[in-house]
Amino acid sequence: MIVDVNAFTGHSTSYPTDGSVSAVRNSLCAVGVDRIFLSPLNAAWFPNPHRCNQEVYDASDDFDDIVPVPIIDPTVTTWRDELARAAEHPKVKAVKLLPAYSPYELSSADDLLNELAKAVLAAVIQTRLEDPRRQHPLAQVPDIPASEVAGVAERHPDLTVIIGGPRWAEIKALSDQLLALPNLYADVSQADGFDSLKLLVEMGLAPRLLFGSHAPIFIPWSAMARVVNDLNNVDAEAILGGNTERLLHME
Amino acid sequence: MNLSNLRAHLQLPCPALDVHVHPLSCIEGYQIGSIDEDIKLLTESAKRSGVEKMCIFSLYPTCPSEPTIEQCRKSNDYNRAMRDLAPDWFLPFCYVNPMYPDESAVEIDRCVGKHRFPGVKLWVARRATDPGLDPICQAAIHHDVPLLQHAWSKTTGNMVGESFPADVADMARRHPLARIIMAHLNGCGLRGIEDVADCPNIVVDTSGGDPESGIVEAAVERLGANRVVYGSDAPIRHFGVQLGKTLGTNLPHKIKCDILWNNAARLFPDWAGVRPLGEEAGDDR
Repeated sequence: MIVDVNAFTGHSTSYPTDGSVSAVRNSLCAVGVDRIFLSPLNAAWFPNPHRCNQEVYDASDDFDDIVPVPIIDPTVTTWRDELARAAEHPKVKAVKLLPAYSPYELSSADDLLNELAKAVLAAVIQTRLEDPRRQHPLAQVPDIPASEVAGVAERHPDLTVIIGGPRWAEIKALSDQLLALPNLYADVSQADGFDSLKLLVEMGLAPRLLFGSHAPIFIPWSAMARVVNDLNNVDAEAILGGNTERLLHME
Repeated sequence: MNLSNLRAHLQLPCPALDVHVHPLSCIEGYQIGSIDEDIKLLTESAKRSGVEKMCIFSLYPTCPSEPTIEQCRKSNDYNRAMRDLAPDWFLPFCYVNPMYPDESAVEIDRCVGKHRFPGVKLWVARRATDPGLDPICQAAIHHDVPLLQHAWSKTTGNMVGESFPADVADMARRHPLARIIMAHLNGCGLRGIEDVADCPNIVVDTSGGDPESGIVEAAVERLGANRVVYGSDAPIRHFGVQLGKTLGTNLPHKIKCDILWNNAARLFPDWAGVRPLGEEAGDDR
């Protein structure tokens, strides 16, 4: 089973792309994706991102292959209610945090992270949605350093932490933590560069890497190419879905 | 879809000619022991993604933004050695610096005239509006080779000598007979496409930046299908990820092959030995 742990639906403010659920789903199915972890892109710029989560709950009702990944923002007073809603939903395996967009410091999110661990939900902590060099000049959002996300995994050993959107060099720089911390994983949707995954796999990181597409902002074909072009079947199958199935106890 | 079927599904519809590749030896973070190793690693990776030929340009091992002419010569000697060791793979471009216009023209005479480099490369020493580029453009026109100019439009600010797309358009208007490849479609963005729309002597390469949705389609719509060429910016970027910008679109098969090979092939003089698909030497179809 091929699992995309990092996809979105919604309007892109920067690119001429169709972010509707059906378009995103079609684009991912076309490259063989079987399960889509879907988050609401509109939440990034919405004053209360929780109000966008219904989009992905509805999508998961409509399509068996969609797994809703709601955005939870600990600076919204009622975040515990939104977390309870996620925890009670039968298909939710993870929630996503967009700390750069709210914004808030990850060090101030410990209450939420503790509650996620109790609810046995993974945290996908997004480090980047868009290259800072390509953002609107009046809407610049700095990256969250992937090392800060690794720090969350250290502080919360009972919480499964997935670094969302780290660059290849960041994953490489965190190799020691990824190998040492059993609860830390990296999505590879933005791991571009020469032989990017091949080199990470040669460092022993295959069990710590999870396939993600960053659709609809990025092209799913590209996400798939970086895995299947360079890796043998065992490593490719692990990254494309095996690791996520095991990690999140998927059927 | 199992992996075998997936790999078959991701096969290219035609070979790819990558117009934007650097040696590993000039990119920080790669420990390359020899030129043979550089060639081996680059070509093996390219082959896995379906790339069969590459335009190669060293920017000198330390990538100075304002290289001396001697550093340019050494870079070009490296490019030439790569081509001589793997002639089926590499099309070397002559790297020059418009801070030294006359010396650059002489270097183009050496590389293109004597050693048959089929292109010229310009990076970030001076913006394309600088008159120092004029003798370089004239040399490229004289030798009938394309000129690849780096361009970006960065929210975070361009380097002092880094060209914006509008600068490349200015160069194209000053030299209407020059065949110009403007690098980095995604870095130039939707506004950059408009900047060069009325310059028929500019094609844009798809190299660099993230594989963002919709940009290649927008370039084809505004510039025409014959003014977009595939490039990766490997090893900074991944050959296959950058190919996905074209292959992951809904563009027709013919347009994809034009972007991946034919449009670039038409930029080179006959002596470069690169022809559009179906027009190869000896092809009597």
